[in-house]
Amino acid sequence: MIALSRNQRMLVQCAPISDQHVNDRNMRSAIHRARKTEEFAVQQNFDRAVAELVRAIPVPLEIADWVPSETLLTPPRRGWKRLARNPVILATGIALAVIAGILVSHVLDRLNRFPGETTAEHLLTVASSTHSMMLDPVKTTAGSLGDFFFMKHRLAHYDVPLEFADLKTLGCRVFDDEEGERVAQVWVVEKRMQFFLFPAERDPKTGAVKHFNGWRYVDQDRWAGVVQEKNGVCFMAAVRGREKDLAAYIAKKD
Amino acid sequence: MLADAARAQEVFQATLREAAQLAADGEPPRDRAWFFRSARWRCVEKGEEGLQAEDVDLETEPLASNAPQQIGKLDPARLAIWISAAPDPQRTALALFYLDEFDHQELLSIAELKSTELAKLLSGARHEFQAWLDATVPIAEP
Repeated sequence: MIALSRNQRMLVQCAPISDQHVNDRNMRSAIHRARKTEEFAVQQNFDRAVAELVRAIPVPLEIADWVPSETLLTPPRRGWKRLARNPVILATGIALAVIAGILVSHVLDRLNRFPGETTAEHLLTVASSTHSMMLDPVKTTAGSLGDFFFMKHRLAHYDVPLEFADLKTLGCRVFDDEEGERVAQVWVVEKRMQFFLFPAERDPKTGAVKHFNGWRYVDQDRWAGVVQEKNGVCFMAAVRGREKDLAAYIAKKD
Repeated sequence: MLADAARAQEVFQATLREAAQLAADGEPPRDRAWFFRSARWRCVEKGEEGLQAEDVDLETEPLASNAPQQIGKLDPARLAIWISAAPDPQRTALALFYLDEFDHQELLSIAELKSTELAKLLSGARHEFQAWLDATVPIAEP
């Protein structure tokens, strides 16, 4: 056993007689190397002969027939790592994860929905196709346009929220959308942002305004919008970009 | 380990009784190694009763290539006596190792030995057994 390390020599001395009991990596490696030596062959033949003789030692029948009963043993615990490697459990786990993901996505989607979202999405499409020349030039602050809309177009509560009230405007217009609702559109200097003010969604039976609290995000074709409802009128700030581009404005007041 | 079928049966029954008692108490043995570990300690206790083998240094010989033939001529009962006469933990190591029922880790666990200890005990026993074989079952030179 010249080529063996000290540890391997030690393991080879304890090498199990049957190969079926060699399930330790180090032991397997030590035996593999030792197999090339005659000394190990002699040891193995010696051990096999002794083991054979041991099997011939008479054992009382009661003991020879007895195998530890399962009723006397604790049921084997299956570790989670072992369970996770089981293909059936793995496949089931992946399927459940996908279903859970879809459900969570649906729930989040539902939670984020708000009355007037469809109109808001449509107006984002309008924003993406609007050119500044389509609007009447108005250079003021967005906050002061509420009076302008009321005085000129009889649009009550078409007020720009405080969060966006200080932004300088380039122009504005009022138009009827596809459902004949009056929509006010404002173009501001900052980030070429656009504001939309439009009537909040109403219950078709009672005609009552469907209120919602706080700011809600909406996105469409690489445009993002943030919407708030107040006094039956929705305000939306729209920008080409993502939600985070608008988040800073909302956080100002919060 | 005892070289005595009647005493071995007593150990077996006592071990089984304890396992049944544990199971009845709602704490059954965790694995089959428990049975061997428990039986081993009972054998050690039994072995301490009655006559004790003298603690002597046995002669040793290198393993011979014709050892299997020598072993083949042995009576199994004589091998059992030889193993049972070995001092513990060598006796435990031999009994468990030559049962050929366990992998290395199981063997260490049941015998409560380290790898180095087990290797030393088995290696020493092989050479002592070879010397005993040479004295007991000499092979005629061709």
